[in-house]
Amino acid sequence: MKSELVNLNVNPCKMCMPMGAVTALAGLRGCMTILHGSQGCATYIRRHMATHYNEPVDIASSSLTEEGTVFGGEKNLVKGIENLVNLYDPDVIGVCTTCLAETIGEDVPRILADFKASRPDLRAGIINVTSAGYSGTQYEGFFRALRAAAEQVEPDAAPNGRINIITGHLSAADTRRLKALLKEMSVDAILLPDLSENLDGGHEETYSRLPRGGTPVSDVAKMAGARASIELAAFIDEARSPARYLLEAHGVPFIRLNPPVGLRDTDAFIKALASLGGVVTPELKKERARCLDAMIDSHKYNAKAVAAVFGEPDFAYSVTRLLTENGARVALAATGSVCRDFAEKILAETGRVRDYHIDSESAALDDCDFDTIERRAAELGVNILIGSSDGRRAAEHLKLPLVRCAFPIHDHVGGQRVRMLGYDGAAALLDRVTNTVLSNVEETFRGEMFEKYHRAESVLTPRGAGNSISPHGGKVSALPHPCFDGCSSKYARLHLPVAPSCNIRCNYCVRDYDCPNESRPGVTSGILSPAEALERFRRVRAALPELAVAGIAGPGDALADFGLTRETLSLIRGEDKNVSLCVSTNGLLLPFYADELSSLGVTHVTVTVNAANPTIGARVYGHIDYFGERFYGDAAAGILLANQLAGIARCAALGITVKVNAVMIKGVNDSHIPDIASRVRGLGCSITNIMRMIPVPGSAFENIPPPGERELEDTRLECEKILPQLRGCRGCRADAAGTLDRDFPLSDISRPAAPEPCGKRAPSARFAVSSKNGVLVDTHFGHTTEFYIYEYSDGGARLRERRPVEEYCAGEEGTGGAGKMDRILKTIEDCDYVLSARIGDSPRGRLASRGVKIHTSYAKIEDAILEAVTKYERSNAI
Amino acid sequence: MPNSQILDERRRSIGFGDGSGILCDTNSVSGAVSQRACVYCGARVVLNPITDAFHIVHGPIGCASYTWDIRGSLSSGSELYRNSFSTDLREEDIIFGGAKKLAAAIDEIVGKYAPKLIFVYATCIAGVIGDDVDAVCREAESRHKTRVIPVRSPGFSGSKSFGYRMACDAIMRLISPHAGAAKTRGVNILGDFNLAGEMWIIENYLRAVGINVVSTVTGDASYEALIKMPSAELNLVQCAGSMNYLARRMEEEFGIPSIKVSFFGAADTTNSILRAAEVAGGAETMRRAKIFTEQNEAELRSFSERYRPHLEGKKAAIYVGGGFKAISLIRQFSAMGIETVVVGTQTGQPEDYETIGTLVSGDAVILDDANPSELETFMREKGADILVGGVKERPLAYKLGMAFCDHNHERRHALAGYEGVRNFTREIHLSMNSPVWDFLGEMKAETSPAFH
Repeated sequence: MKSELVNLNVNPCKMCMPMGAVTALAGLRGCMTILHGSQGCATYIRRHMATHYNEPVDIASSSLTEEGTVFGGEKNLVKGIENLVNLYDPDVIGVCTTCLAETIGEDVPRILADFKASRPDLRAGIINVTSAGYSGTQYEGFFRALRAAAEQVEPDAAPNGRINIITGHLSAADTRRLKALLKEMSVDAILLPDLSENLDGGHEETYSRLPRGGTPVSDVAKMAGARASIELAAFIDEARSPARYLLEAHGVPFIRLNPPVGLRDTDAFIKALASLGGVVTPELKKERARCLDAMIDSHKYNAKAVAAVFGEPDFAYSVTRLLTENGARVALAATGSVCRDFAEKILAETGRVRDYHIDSESAALDDCDFDTIERRAAELGVNILIGSSDGRRAAEHLKLPLVRCAFPIHDHVGGQRVRMLGYDGAAALLDRVTNTVLSNVEETFRGEMFEKYHRAESVLTPRGAGNSISPHGGKVSALPHPCFDGCSSKYARLHLPVAPSCNIRCNYCVRDYDCPNESRPGVTSGILSPAEALERFRRVRAALPELAVAGIAGPGDALADFGLTRETLSLIRGEDKNVSLCVSTNGLLLPFYADELSSLGVTHVTVTVNAANPTIGARVYGHIDYFGERFYGDAAAGILLANQLAGIARCAALGITVKVNAVMIKGVNDSHIPDIASRVRGLGCSITNIMRMIPVPGSAFENIPPPGERELEDTRLECEKILPQLRGCRGCRADAAGTLDRDFPLSDISRPAAPEPCGKRAPSARFAVSSKNGVLVDTHFGHTTEFYIYEYSDGGARLRERRPVEEYCAGEEGTGGAGKMDRILKTIEDCDYVLSARIGDSPRGRLASRGVKIHTSYAKIEDAILEAVTKYERSNAI
Repeated sequence: MPNSQILDERRRSIGFGDGSGILCDTNSVSGAVSQRACVYCGARVVLNPITDAFHIVHGPIGCASYTWDIRGSLSSGSELYRNSFSTDLREEDIIFGGAKKLAAAIDEIVGKYAPKLIFVYATCIAGVIGDDVDAVCREAESRHKTRVIPVRSPGFSGSKSFGYRMACDAIMRLISPHAGAAKTRGVNILGDFNLAGEMWIIENYLRAVGINVVSTVTGDASYEALIKMPSAELNLVQCAGSMNYLARRMEEEFGIPSIKVSFFGAADTTNSILRAAEVAGGAETMRRAKIFTEQNEAELRSFSERYRPHLEGKKAAIYVGGGFKAISLIRQFSAMGIETVVVGTQTGQPEDYETIGTLVSGDAVILDDANPSELETFMREKGADILVGGVKERPLAYKLGMAFCDHNHERRHALAGYEGVRNFTREIHLSMNSPVWDFLGEMKAETSPAFH
């Protein structure tokens, strides 16, 4: 199953063969592995394993270079083995190939045979794994390494009565559980591999760089003489099966079982062990009973789980079986490996409970990437993801919880301690799943129930119908606008400060500054004439092609001197047909100008409404100036409110997108803000922006504290039930330009570009500095390829320029050394000082004879200059 | 027992108190367990922060899988770069060639998403099986009139720093057609990758003193912003090693001068702001820069004084990618009263090691391309209290009972600028002085149990 892009893997749900091979070999005692290929393969695999296991994982590389790639890498490989033997003295050496080695056709078995013949003293055995990255995934690589171990370790076929247990990739903790189980059942087993110690070591007094745990090679040899093998893998390729090899080569009978995860598969494993003489202890029976009890306790919670499980084939299958036993629904099981039987086996399992999960659909996909998993999970209504941490981007996009329980886990700790094997492991993983489901319910059900049952209108009209109940059917403008789309940073906007005066007095305002209904308090913008505004628009647009919006938001009220606003808007519209125009106002004169704004092409209007009834309004507003008269108190607030509401309704009817700003003032209108939102919603307002009042000294409200972030957010949450809320408004100044994230410095727009020419000022001292990195003095005088020329004056050093020079040392041995020296000296002849890391005697003498002061240092350039000046000033004083 | 802690052929890359003349900038020793990655890795980490590009890895799945969104580069716009696109070459592609698959993939992306920019990374295998990635890209570019840029990054073709060059070549290929653009007043910032928002920190500083930023390379970069690069007046080059080459080419081909900056550590940050103000601004900018840096340094001083007693006298080990980062770390440590006793890098240059030698005390160990056994041996011998490195080194430090600070791609804390100094200091303190280190070793109880 491929993603939407059929020719690409988009976000891989798999790794490569060498990863699996080195992981399996880490389960052998005293094994050190070398990857035959380029250096990156070993390093990447080490990084992946180090973050998951939090253990040092040393893997050598033959570090193939261009030469090795062309002429063969035998020399590199042999050298590499010699070196790792010297450094690690391993019992066994894993030699795994990579894409590169296989593609260039390295005959590794022959190379290793020759090497062994040349080194009869070599203590360590060698296991060679053919593991081209493109031949399969880590799943196949893991079993290839096990098979190679079974085939290549010198067999000890004397019957020993032991039982071979061959596993896929288990966590270290699960491996320890498996060993304890075998011991408890008195089964004398050879476990291959055994990752329990090497990939989850303790903190010891002395650190051993060669991990000391794992299956001894002598035990691997004895597998040939075992009574039987149990291979715990559901999808292993028969031709690559270690147990099949032991049967064919040494006559050891085998049985293949699913990994012992979940009740049925653990039962099957224990029965198999019992049939081979294992003892089923009373404690084991109790453990099973406890697991069953836990499953019953959680079955109803898990019935709500709709899971997507992804990872290696065995993992996905085991977890699917475990979840299904408990009534959870596995809607999607996926693996990145190519696995023929995968879908059939998974669907047989999910199909078994089809009658329980009525009308539900299940999918199983192999050869699958995360792009596909994400898409299918969304389609299938998945509510929980289970797998490796590589699923975290899907979880982020789908806003779903992710239970991390498969390799690799990069972003959480404890990968080595994940439990799922055996009865107690089943209970442990199920608990994690159940608790994830429960947390999710706990966090969301209050809101959901409220939405569903409390809000009568939402029962009657579908959610999101806010716009359609506008009396005028106001359409939402499709044009982008950062102040309406939740402060998106993509589009740039330009505020033109053309509105000088204001016609109302808000009690939190001091008219020395920009209008606080839109801007940060205490900010002052210079006023532009309409013609200047057009000029600024042109300049900003030239510098910021993403400019999408031009607006008038002060510093006073945009409608108080409408002539200026009108002229500015028509000039801009004449200049640019596409830019969105917007206006911000207190709304007092909005009913009178709404139609004209619309015909000028204004698509967005912001109205600041701080009260939806005159009594509260009278506390917010000092007075209004309306058609030549000043009104106070309730009368002022009443007129203002009536006009605001009429203006909003008119704008909405004209198709203008209306945002309402409300300034939240503690103890004045803070509990009243949802009423404002309800009121303007009915008129066709599409979004509100609740802002905090910030006390400005000298204003009537200077002693009222601003509301806290919590109070502000609580109010927004409440209002969100009524109208969408704008968050993250930054109160841009009335002359803002740029995107919300990146203000365009206006000073730079207005200043003509004129870089200062070098050496304009009369220098008091000029320095030639030998430096390569440009921060420190780090170069020999004779090796300098370019000098950094500094000037020192008034106690400060300034970089003037960089001057390339001929290398003096490079040519000195040949002819014309003196000529080169002349050139170098000419290059810096205007300099009073030379600063270098070191300098030879000959150049030192010639510079000194010309009166050039020399200082050697490795310090930061500016510091070295000060050192030099101080040094010579002191010596002058003496 | 191992025969040696240090391989003979590695000895020339190790110095004691003196870094001059140590062997560096060469191939890793086979089997030595180098911490280095490959050419592809170098190219990928430099280009991947370009947010709205399709980054297609042409090769088997491993290369794409292990580099999928591993770097903490942040974006203010597109999140496209956080995806991993790979041609996922299989056995049949190795036999019959992968060029057709690649061409079809590009066609498909263009058809479905109409992107402005596609990068195609050629991995080890692409070259070896004979896929002409350059030709596929060239043809796709002319077919679709969209930029499809090959990145020549077979892993075996050199070191990680060679990959940086290949990335810089790809950027040059992208921006060269826009070389004639009219000049705008402002600078490009090169060599920061916006890990944990560091590019934003640097931009904020420049904006605060009145310097306009034209383009950021490559942290939080986009196609539209990158093609404006040639219109800038000046390049500020963060000394990360990865972008010096790009700066040089831009200087030679577009005549854009560059100055070096570093925003690691308070002194370097101040210096860099002043230096940028001096070159890119006028007297007013310089005045603002002085006030800005003085204020920030003053605020930082009281912070540092509170932490200093907890840090003074400790010993640090450093193992990082590039030489300049190591140098700036030594200087930052010494400002805290911490002595650096072991210092190594993956890709340091001769002059870096020489400088390092002058900054550390007499017997400090200096290493190029170190491996775990050398780090283990010397950190133990020198009694380091903390290691600064990347995630691969973290488990080793912990196993040795040593504190650790991540100074690599995956961190979630900003280390640049004045904020960075605070974060770095806290990180160091919280790991080094953690109560957990009191419990190393044998079982111990505060009081012996006494029965009555």
